[in-house]
Amino acid sequence: MKEYSIVITGVGGQGVLTAANILGWAALNAGYNVRMGEVHGMSQRFGSVVSYVRFGEDVYGSMVPEGKGDVILSFEPVEALRYVNHLKYGGMAVVNTKPIVPVQVSMGKASYPEIEEIRAIFEKDWGAKWIGFNAEELAVKAGHVITTNTVLIGALTQIPGFPLGEEHVREVIALSVPPKAVDMNMKAFELGVKAAREILKL
Amino acid sequence: MAKVTDMVLWDKPGEKVLLLGNQAIARGALEANIAVYAAYPGTPSSELTDTMAIVAKKAGVYMEYSANEKVAFETALAAAWSGLRAMTAMKHVGLNVAADTFLSSVGMGVEGGFVIMVADDPSMWSSQNEQDTRVYGKFANVPVLEPSSPQEAKEMTKYAFELSEKFKHFVILRTTTRSSHARGGVELGELPEEIKAGKRKFGKFKKDPNRFVDVPSNARKFHPIVLEKIEKIREEFNEMPFNWIEGDEKAKVGIIAPGLSYAYVKEALAWLGVENVKVLKLGTPFPVPYGLLERFFDGLEKVLIVEELEPVVEEQVKTWAYDRQIRIPIHGKDLVPRVYEMTTRRAVTAIAKFLGLETPVDYEELDSRYEKALKLVPPRPPSLCPACPHRNSFYAIKKATHSRGIYPSDIGCYTLGLLPPLNAVDTTVAMGASIGIAHGLEIAQNGSLSEEARKGGKKIVVATIGDSTFFHTGLPALANAIYNRSNVLVVVLDNLVTAMTGDQPNPSTGQTPHGVGKRIPIEDVAKAMGADFVAVVDPYDIKKTYETIKKALEVEGVSVVVSRQVCALYRVGQMRRRGEKWPVYYVDEEACTGCKICINAYGCPAIYWDAEKKQARIEPSMCWGCGGCAQICPFGAFKPVEGGDE
Repeated sequence: MKEYSIVITGVGGQGVLTAANILGWAALNAGYNVRMGEVHGMSQRFGSVVSYVRFGEDVYGSMVPEGKGDVILSFEPVEALRYVNHLKYGGMAVVNTKPIVPVQVSMGKASYPEIEEIRAIFEKDWGAKWIGFNAEELAVKAGHVITTNTVLIGALTQIPGFPLGEEHVREVIALSVPPKAVDMNMKAFELGVKAAREILKL
Repeated sequence: MAKVTDMVLWDKPGEKVLLLGNQAIARGALEANIAVYAAYPGTPSSELTDTMAIVAKKAGVYMEYSANEKVAFETALAAAWSGLRAMTAMKHVGLNVAADTFLSSVGMGVEGGFVIMVADDPSMWSSQNEQDTRVYGKFANVPVLEPSSPQEAKEMTKYAFELSEKFKHFVILRTTTRSSHARGGVELGELPEEIKAGKRKFGKFKKDPNRFVDVPSNARKFHPIVLEKIEKIREEFNEMPFNWIEGDEKAKVGIIAPGLSYAYVKEALAWLGVENVKVLKLGTPFPVPYGLLERFFDGLEKVLIVEELEPVVEEQVKTWAYDRQIRIPIHGKDLVPRVYEMTTRRAVTAIAKFLGLETPVDYEELDSRYEKALKLVPPRPPSLCPACPHRNSFYAIKKATHSRGIYPSDIGCYTLGLLPPLNAVDTTVAMGASIGIAHGLEIAQNGSLSEEARKGGKKIVVATIGDSTFFHTGLPALANAIYNRSNVLVVVLDNLVTAMTGDQPNPSTGQTPHGVGKRIPIEDVAKAMGADFVAVVDPYDIKKTYETIKKALEVEGVSVVVSRQVCALYRVGQMRRRGEKWPVYYVDEEACTGCKICINAYGCPAIYWDAEKKQARIEPSMCWGCGGCAQICPFGAFKPVEGGDE
């Protein structure tokens, strides 16, 4: 495989960086070259956040170029749409459909779109496969809202052609969370796997 | 998966680990047997300093968070004068602060290796401008090394120390946001015995007043020496391991790719499927080695220079080519934008145009689809965190001045007080500038207190400045305002850490990474300087804060109110680690009248509007339990959940 590019998006504080790190390590452990780019500093304070994970034989830049990403993994629906330009035509979108409404919307200075409108852009304008579900709900079911990113990563591993084995990814998650949280995260991972398989009719 | 900071000290040569560019540089410094490290944090350089902070003691390296870049520079420089390998790091604008010492001392050179890591921020992801540090290198005649990957960042750091020591000259290691904050596989090298043993190294300063005192008679001798050195280094760079020519030797077209642009050029060429080009990979944007240019230009009919920001390499190459009477087209900034950061799209577009090819993606078509999508996307700028004490300080300031004041502010997370609904930041220029600008505004608007105090004249200028910024460059500005009888209020937003860059300690924290610091209370400094009114408040008590600010506004002269409460992000992080819980607030539907004060005047990100019920709501996963909302709501609608939650 020459290159596989993942765009991870969300709101500062949601764990976008952690998710990127887990995928980066899993790729490194699988023997790929890895290059990742991320946002630090003030931009993280509850603002829009994007991280890139790229791996394969030939990877150079740390950012996923516009129109080249294989998949968008998003922690928040509007944040998926904000970076849709990085996705290639016919790519994949794994999206947590639970919105976080920006202050500007609460103040009445902007409006928040319907999830179906967002989905339509991915499906129609990008020819993309949309795997949207409320990952937060599943995380709570697994034991804590904090496992939302594990749910989403679980779902990601199920998309067709995803080059990292489920086991590689599980292994890194188990090593990167506190020991007492391993079981909860494995459960969250499983719920994500199940959700994606249902949507993909696998 | 070990902790990153452990991996930086791993004695496992050959092991491949995933490191951030900045962490890779820290490893490189350790492999180079660094002895002294001093820096002030600044995004995107901060993680280098933070990594050094954690490993320093184990590695026997002296490390400090300095009060600003200038003193950090001086600390490391003096160590390098004493024969030790020393390093300082800063963001691009930090070099402006250190520039006085930097430009004055470069002629003196060093004994031990001295590496100045400067992280530029093209596109200004968290900065006030996008200056190009390579221009400083050229200005000061100091070589600039620029890595193209995390692996190279590590190797280059090691080499930078060797180069510095060989020529007894400063070396700049320049990164950008995308190289400092890129992660990649890094193969660990050998650690020196001294680092492994954790033994602190000491140097010896050999007095030489003819060298280390820059009176004009000495300084006059330095400039030609520096020019001589830089030409020797230019020669050296013909053979340095981070410069090379690759690709089709017989190609008629060539591309020069300095620093990180090399990565984008490689990706662009692969994407375009172009093979018949020659590439000059340049790890040294200044000085560009002429011998290598000679070899590269041989047989070429046209050249493109793909570089980010200023045409630093382009100007050197064109000057060289002109002097050699080489008359082939040399493209650069005519095809590559001069503003904002390099991207693969920019590289691929420039190269496609240069070679007369189609881009692999129809960008025009993509942009029009994207434009349509963006119409649905509401803005989500960063905001002050939930429970941020600064929100309360700003709220109280606005209320006490009836929103009619002028509000100069400074560099830090609190600059976000600029955004609605707070709108409490009118100017931000540079570190420490809030107080200087406040004083100037006061002179311009009211004339200050000069001989005849303006009786009953109220203050209209309220400066806000963070604790770290106060010690960084706020001190001289405060002295100036007090000395010149200004009539301003300075509110120091003291959250006891340098929050914006990742909660590093500063003189207000007192603690250093090694626990040996001494805290300097800001109010003591203000009193000692002769401020006319000094008070300390807890911004979590909004009413008291408001009353104190109101009082301070009545006092003629310079008032200093220290608004002190620990950074919420820091506090919550600590509590999470300890498994502690905090109270979460909710909206009592009976009490909420839907007046929207909490949204339109206070603006906590955890509070949102329930459009159906026309009431405020709290997103429990975002509430950090400060209770500020309960204090500002006139109807007592915000209440803590019984028993608390996380």
